[in-house]
Amino acid sequence: MKKSILVTIFLVIAILATACGGKAPGGANAPIKIGVIYNVTGGQASLDVPSNNGAKLAAKEINAAGGVLGRPIEIVFYDGKSDATVIGNAATQLAESDKVVAMMGFSDSDMTLAAAPIAAKAGITFVTSGATSPKLPDQVPDYLFLACFGDNVQAAAGAEYAFNTLKYKTVYLLTDQGSEYTKLLSKYFKERYTELGGQVVLEDSYQTGDKDFSAQITKLKGASTQPDFLYIAAQPDDVGTAVKQFRDSGIDKAIMGGDGYDTPLLVQIPGKGATNVYFTTHSLMDKDVGTEAVKKFINAYTAEYKTAPENAFAGLGYDTMKLLADAISRAKSTDPKAIRDALAATKDLPGVTGQLSYLPGIRVPQKGVSMILVKDQKLTLAAEVVPEKIPAP
Amino acid sequence: MENPKKKHLSPLATGLVLVAAFFGLLALINFGASSYIQRIVIGLCISIILVVSLNLTSGFTGVFSLGHIGFMAIGAYTAAILTLPLSQKLAYLPDLPGWLENTQLAFLPATLIGGLLAMLVAFLFGVSVMRLTGPYVGVATLGFLVIVNVILVNWDSMTRGARTFSGVPPFTDIWWVGGWTAVTIYVIWRFARSSYGRQMMAIRDNQIAAQSLGISVLRMRLLAFCVSAFFTAVAGSLWAHFIQSFSPKAFLFVETFAIITMLIAGGMGSISGSVIGAVGITILAEILRNAERGVNLGFVHIPPVYGASQIIMAVIFIVLIIFRPEGIMGKRELDFSRLFSFKRKKRKEAASQ
Repeated sequence: MKKSILVTIFLVIAILATACGGKAPGGANAPIKIGVIYNVTGGQASLDVPSNNGAKLAAKEINAAGGVLGRPIEIVFYDGKSDATVIGNAATQLAESDKVVAMMGFSDSDMTLAAAPIAAKAGITFVTSGATSPKLPDQVPDYLFLACFGDNVQAAAGAEYAFNTLKYKTVYLLTDQGSEYTKLLSKYFKERYTELGGQVVLEDSYQTGDKDFSAQITKLKGASTQPDFLYIAAQPDDVGTAVKQFRDSGIDKAIMGGDGYDTPLLVQIPGKGATNVYFTTHSLMDKDVGTEAVKKFINAYTAEYKTAPENAFAGLGYDTMKLLADAISRAKSTDPKAIRDALAATKDLPGVTGQLSYLPGIRVPQKGVSMILVKDQKLTLAAEVVPEKIPAP
Repeated sequence: MENPKKKHLSPLATGLVLVAAFFGLLALINFGASSYIQRIVIGLCISIILVVSLNLTSGFTGVFSLGHIGFMAIGAYTAAILTLPLSQKLAYLPDLPGWLENTQLAFLPATLIGGLLAMLVAFLFGVSVMRLTGPYVGVATLGFLVIVNVILVNWDSMTRGARTFSGVPPFTDIWWVGGWTAVTIYVIWRFARSSYGRQMMAIRDNQIAAQSLGISVLRMRLLAFCVSAFFTAVAGSLWAHFIQSFSPKAFLFVETFAIITMLIAGGMGSISGSVIGAVGITILAEILRNAERGVNLGFVHIPPVYGASQIIMAVIFIVLIIFRPEGIMGKRELDFSRLFSFKRKKRKEAASQ
């Protein structure tokens, strides 16, 4: 009994020691600390590991070119472990003991909202590289920025491209009810598509992780009006299964979706069925048909990590770090407030995932959307779309 | 114990000393510690409430529940809906029924209502399920967890569905969690030592013998289940007002297994064991999480290995289960009155002579 008390006391002392240690010296050439939190373990790892690799690569390149304001960038990294409590603790450590000048991370709204309010309270800006909900910035006044386009932008881009370019006038809308991302995507798509004059002939839903779409397919086949194309708002893990089952049942109409389709599963699972599929994403990560910036990024990433970028989130992590570095250099200071103001004034910053600008007062960037066409299991860039009108978040 | 000259403190005095020491420690943390340490302490106290209340059903009554996090979810959502500021309600939950749309409660009543609602649900669910024994209860309660999750995801007008429920006011502080932790431990401690508690333990140890003594198995199990659901929901409310934004996926298997690990490590059937399990695992996980970022030991630098903390925790748990399958405390309790008695050693020596 006594022993267990002693052990507990020892643990408390140890944790206090860990928490108090590690004060870095200041100075003219001291590194500029940027806090990075990604979930490199747990459910979010497939998106967050590439993002984190991208951010590290960007910092390395910036430092090799002389750093920012003549000072190198130092990444202070914590693993969020896909756990809101851990993320809150890590964000507190970044603000309190690491004294970072800005923070970045995450590809998920919940995770972002676990960290950003803590950063905001300490007057530090948080930039999320991959959480696409346009509702996010309103929930953390002044200090939360998106580095990616919002779901309303990509949904509007999809709707306009289908209606104006592909001339599809009717749609079947299938939505995963299990996530904020898919529900919002579907809502914004419907809003813009019907506004243009398109018609939704049938709406249906499923739950995240459903492996059987036969009920939905039967319902679609029995519908009195057959749609021109299908819009399926799905999460990465379900995209392959959904496309395969619709194709296997003999439906060969065009299928469209959002950046959740940006996963190797889209081609791997349906195999031959992976054709006539369109999706909106941040950029086409292909070293043959991508833009110059993408090609350069893919080569650098491959040289660093011995593997090609897993998905567009690698590019988003990379761009977010460069975005922060750009803001610091224009702020000519490492004062978090000055960095925030410079960041909000970012204009036409080129990046792997497209040019980025923030309009005054809006912390979701103006960014082009890449419309990808999958044809015979090959990804091609169908168009770069800038939507004419965007549904309100 | 029969020694008439014993210098043990009386139970009341021991309790007062413990409560004073506990709140003294909380004051120290509240005014002296960094907000990082404060966050850890808040998370830790919430874990203690969860594990201690789970212990009442799983440890003392022998009903192995895998569904308690469902009650945590009920507490979290109910209290959060009730405390959400009216302006936020209009923006985020426009489809609420009118009477809820215009209701905004303080933290305490919202938490209590969350707890009572969980108690009611536990009663309705328990009436049918508490008749089961052994692994069947585990499966049935796991089913309960899934049902709660599906309802939360689909009841869009109340919970925002799978989307993030945010804007919950940050009411939870050291004092609230400290107070609720003390209340939970006290109530469950007294409960386990009442005649009800003895009946529960009798059911756990030998159901048939207990029945032959006239103990109603169903009633006792239901009682334990409802009381523990109440405190689990309270912990849910505290967590909701601590994290401030969450979605139904936070209340699923990961959290379930986290509290079961703490329960088993501390010892099922021991309240002090639950506290030790929750404190030990939380602090160890936090130390390992900081250590896995790379440690400089002076002579050797260990590079960062992310994910190592989870692996080490798992290994420690396996070793513990092999060498102490009953957990750190087993079914015993820390005897604080003995801790404060100074002549204990001498007496022991005298007794052995």
